[in-house]
Amino acid sequence: MREIRIALTGNPNVGKTTLFNALTGSRQHVGNWPGVTVEKKTGRVSHNGYEIEVVDLPGTYSLTAYSADEVVARDYILEERPDVVVQVVDATNLERNLYLTTQVAELGVPMVIALNMADMAEAQGDTIDLARLSEFLEIPVVRTVGTRGEGLDTLLEAAIKEAATSPHHEHTIGYGDDVEATIAMLADALSTDIDLARRYPLRWLAVKLLEGDENVLDKVRGGPALARVESILSSIDSDEYEAMMADKRYEAISAILPQVRKANVRNMSPSDMLDRVVTDRYLGIPIFLALMWGTFQLTFTVAAPFMTMIEAAVGWLAEFVAGSIEPAWLASFLGDGIIGGVGAVVVFLPNIFILFLILAFLEDSGYLARAAFIMDRPLYALGLPGKAFIPMLVGFGCNVPAIMATRSIEGEKDRLLTILVNPFMSCSARLPVYILLAGTFFPEQAGSVVFFLYVLGIAVAIASAKLFRSTILPGEVSPFVMEMPPYRIPTAITSLRHMWSRGSMYIRKAGSIILIGVLVVWALASFPLGVEYGSAESFAGMIGHLLEPLVAPLGFDWKVAVALIFGFIAKEIVVGSLGVLYGTGEETLSSALLADPGLSAAAALALMVFVLLYTPCVAAIGVIRQETGSWKWAGFSVAYGLVVAWLLAFVVGHSAGLFLGGI
Amino acid sequence: MSDTAKLVYGAALGALYLVAGALHILVAVVGPIPGLDALPLTGDPLAGFVMLVVGAVFAAGARNLARDAGEDAIFVSVGVLLSVGFGLVELLALSAAGLDAYLLGGGAGWSVAGLVSPLLYLAVFGAAGYLAWGRKFLRGLSAA
Repeated sequence: MREIRIALTGNPNVGKTTLFNALTGSRQHVGNWPGVTVEKKTGRVSHNGYEIEVVDLPGTYSLTAYSADEVVARDYILEERPDVVVQVVDATNLERNLYLTTQVAELGVPMVIALNMADMAEAQGDTIDLARLSEFLEIPVVRTVGTRGEGLDTLLEAAIKEAATSPHHEHTIGYGDDVEATIAMLADALSTDIDLARRYPLRWLAVKLLEGDENVLDKVRGGPALARVESILSSIDSDEYEAMMADKRYEAISAILPQVRKANVRNMSPSDMLDRVVTDRYLGIPIFLALMWGTFQLTFTVAAPFMTMIEAAVGWLAEFVAGSIEPAWLASFLGDGIIGGVGAVVVFLPNIFILFLILAFLEDSGYLARAAFIMDRPLYALGLPGKAFIPMLVGFGCNVPAIMATRSIEGEKDRLLTILVNPFMSCSARLPVYILLAGTFFPEQAGSVVFFLYVLGIAVAIASAKLFRSTILPGEVSPFVMEMPPYRIPTAITSLRHMWSRGSMYIRKAGSIILIGVLVVWALASFPLGVEYGSAESFAGMIGHLLEPLVAPLGFDWKVAVALIFGFIAKEIVVGSLGVLYGTGEETLSSALLADPGLSAAAALALMVFVLLYTPCVAAIGVIRQETGSWKWAGFSVAYGLVVAWLLAFVVGHSAGLFLGGI
Repeated sequence: MSDTAKLVYGAALGALYLVAGALHILVAVVGPIPGLDALPLTGDPLAGFVMLVVGAVFAAGARNLARDAGEDAIFVSVGVLLSVGFGLVELLALSAAGLDAYLLGGGAGWSVAGLVSPLLYLAVFGAAGYLAWGRKFLRGLSAA
């Protein structure tokens, strides 16, 4: 069986990942690109005697090194040399998508175009002549509908055929006499660098140098061509050249499109009409907040019966272990430690999955892109770029990928600012704490309490951004450019797949870091030998009592102090630790918390605020260190979070205490 | 349905949602109001906020239709979708709470009377609009 490698490239939101999933099914592997934290997805598919490896490259609008995603995508194509590059093109937006085509084609690699979302273009009344488009571009074009798996076989056959065809020639855009003369001079200079010339197409290098691409200039540095290249570049205005070259690319696209596409022109599509409401100057943000409220209402309430079932199962298991296992320490280890601790966390799986399902639905429908648009104005006014909203939304799931997602933000200060405020976005790991405490102390308004916490997190993030922008990170905010994808009715399969992809991470955490965390808490609560489990004389009690003075003003006792310490490893462990320290699983933890005279409703509210804002978890700190390249910023994030959490928990707790009868 | 009918419908639903939302928030702030005991107001200020938002969308639609802004009652159509959507959220939430309380023995404080929630019964009027023309709007959206 022959093997070939296909790289999938394309703009964001063109259905690239859907096509990747449809092609590779369950034969996928997710990791990171070497040296960077951009996600790398690979999968395999067999077709007509070929074993095909499919690599899903990050979505990019161009191949100029504006962001890490773009560098990863083009470096893979140039340095790993896949047998074929398949560019996924959104058939409803050919102009923008073909801009990337002109750049990929310049790399001189075998290429196939998957004209995706063809059904939507047809539903709009557009007709695209695939044969003529292929003829003009000199690239095979295949009609696909990723959501329904249409055109996949034809696409694979075209890719196999293209991989076997040789030689390939570079597809070039004519940039006009002046630019072409400079390209020729640069290419000539670059040809003196044998190593560079062997690895990269010289014309492409020259084009990128004219566009002021620092990443390419770095490749030239240290080589024999540098002096001549710098001399040529010093004689031109690279901004002007970049603009002229972009114009020429769009000119070429404009020349082709009328000959291959008949677009249905209407006054205003239903999608445009809907945008008038959801992006309305006055109603846009309230509608977004209302939808978020609905999301958390469903997350809290619909999960309740499922939680009850899991609670019952965990309770039965704990009882079974306690009653049938000897010696007593082993029963305690299994019952109080593993089942009590991990069970207290696992019980929140339904909430996590429902939240991710709703977020996937909103994202797949195209609404979240509108949410980013409407949030741009307030974010910009407060010193954050509009693009920061996407990492902030991703932060609702997990801050680790959210911090990685800041790589799409061009300005270094904008990016650092977004990284520093991201931990205030309430990740799903904090949800179990809210659900436990809100459900216990505020059963009638639990959904609204959780919503309040999410809004508080956003408010603190924005206020912190304003503070940082006016003090430690001064400067102008980058302008926001983002395309609005058309609205779609999400398919159940796609949304469920997204839900599983994000939610399964929580299950893996429960079986690894959370398990280890609760076992450490169990050991600290059980030793030294002979002390009562979880008592003040245990190691956990000693640590808790040592820290109690720091958290006593917030209404927390030593047990909460210990739980917060272990929440530093992963926020879910706060609940697991409380389950262990109160000697219960989640089933009776609510009752135990209510019965504890040391924890009032106001203190519970303060605890939720503290958990929302205090130090990021270990994984998030590691990623902050990696993305900022500095322990200084990671340390700053921890210290700032702790101070803000303490102050706000104090204010909220004591304010609530005025209405709820004291903290 | 004519634009005039949509205008009247939007204005009526807008007023109902705005009043219900305002009362909800009022009850949340000052506690039970004498004379309004018969109304099932939960006192959840955020549910009140959501009703105000839906009401504002309907009201904006009615105003635009009155001014003949030439936008095919888009705000009223979105109001209908929001009304039905939040009605479904409320229905799912109440059903799940009922299932949890009666079949599984979990939860607390659930009663049949709780089903008479403003977000739920106002959604019945929203559903009427959905059946009259909202479905067509949604189909047009998914085909776009």
